[in-house]
Amino acid sequence: MMRIHFEPDACVGHGRCYALAPQVFDADDLGHCVVLLSEPPAELADAARLAVASCPEDALTIDE
Amino acid sequence: MDPGDAVNPQTGEANPYLPEVAANPIPFYERLRDHLPVAMFEGFGRGTWIISRYEDVRWALKHPEIFSSDFVAVDIGQDRPLIPLQIDPPEHAKYRRVIDPTIGPHEVAPLEGELRVVVNDVIDSFIARGSVDAHAEFTVPLPCIVFLSMCGLPLEDLDKLLVWKDNIIRPNTGDPEQDAKVRRATGAALYAYFEDAIDQRRGGSGTDLLTRFLTSEVDGRSMSQEEMLDICYLFVLGGLDTVTSTLDCSLAHLAQDPIQRQLLADDQSIVPAAVEEMLRYHTPVMQILRAVAQPVELHGHKFEVGDTVMLMLGSADTDPTEFGEDASEFDATREVNRHLAFGGGPHRCLGSHLARLELRVALEEWHRRIPDYTVAEGAHLEYSPGIREIVSLPLVFEPVTVAVAE
Repeated sequence: MMRIHFEPDACVGHGRCYALAPQVFDADDLGHCVVLLSEPPAELADAARLAVASCPEDALTIDE
Repeated sequence: MDPGDAVNPQTGEANPYLPEVAANPIPFYERLRDHLPVAMFEGFGRGTWIISRYEDVRWALKHPEIFSSDFVAVDIGQDRPLIPLQIDPPEHAKYRRVIDPTIGPHEVAPLEGELRVVVNDVIDSFIARGSVDAHAEFTVPLPCIVFLSMCGLPLEDLDKLLVWKDNIIRPNTGDPEQDAKVRRATGAALYAYFEDAIDQRRGGSGTDLLTRFLTSEVDGRSMSQEEMLDICYLFVLGGLDTVTSTLDCSLAHLAQDPIQRQLLADDQSIVPAAVEEMLRYHTPVMQILRAVAQPVELHGHKFEVGDTVMLMLGSADTDPTEFGEDASEFDATREVNRHLAFGGGPHRCLGSHLARLELRVALEEWHRRIPDYTVAEGAHLEYSPGIREIVSLPLVFEPVTVAVAE
């Protein structure tokens, strides 16, 4: 099972995560990340990994 | 000249402000990163240090306490710092908390339908001709129409705003003193225009951006007239030119890259990724400026307080250490793409969600209706340095008759 960690202080709203994995992440009203599923199911795992790898601020990490 | 020659490892100098560099910056960026990770640009009437590697630029963006925005680096005709662009944290966050939600991702999403209509209306105006100056007739009017509509301003003001924007960003009189005069006069006109627009909205209940600023609170108080004007000033400069230049770079690129263009025309689901790749590969805002607020050392170079530093975003975005061996190739299907075209750190572009929507819808509709096009024969594409607009972008395609409603 994968687990997503989010560091809110590092997020500045690039918006890559919710664009690439909209079922796993959403945006708050500032455009910053909101984690919808911190333990995404297997069928969303690839999208989640891509989203996490795409964060330019390293605000997201994954424990597998 | 070869753009790489604008970097001189012997003298330590580099000049990003040459038309040859703006037209083809990748060889320039590569030489900068490889030979002069801290370079000197003798421009703007004083020396400016250039930082160009991805990790260095990213680090600088994340440290506003070292690389401050709280200064007036370039005369853009303003009376006061632009809000929130030229305000440092923690003050900066108070304004972002008010402004960001007005153009956040969920806020701009409902504009998509209306935007699609606007894009198609603009395409209708030239598609039967089979030729267009895509800059003058497509990429310039689009963001301006969107801006006017969001601010609840009359469409008749389009031409006036466009002249003001250009007079401030690129007065091009050939004389720095004259440039400054043009900027001052234009700045004054811009302030007066928005002062008037804000006054008209006092006590109103509209949903346009200006009315929303009137009713928003910063730190538990209403914003002053000056604060609202300083936001409007930034919106005009930031909101109009950048989307135009990204669309210019995108259409010019795809007109000359039939394989990537075909990918886009065949499968519109890749447009969002293609937009990110356009932003990365072309990084239309080539660089941004900061002032050193604490002594700091990088690659053996000691920066002193007050030094001006140019963060070369375009160079960061084509750095193979981040983007791999194919960093200098355009790939509309690139997956991991941590580009810094919108900057990074707390000052990251607040209009990016609107910009992405405009870019996506514009490219979707253009390629749905004009899937095949080329640059007109003999045309020379001239890119303006700094923000990479294309002065004139003549494109040709198969004419399409537009049905006119009776």
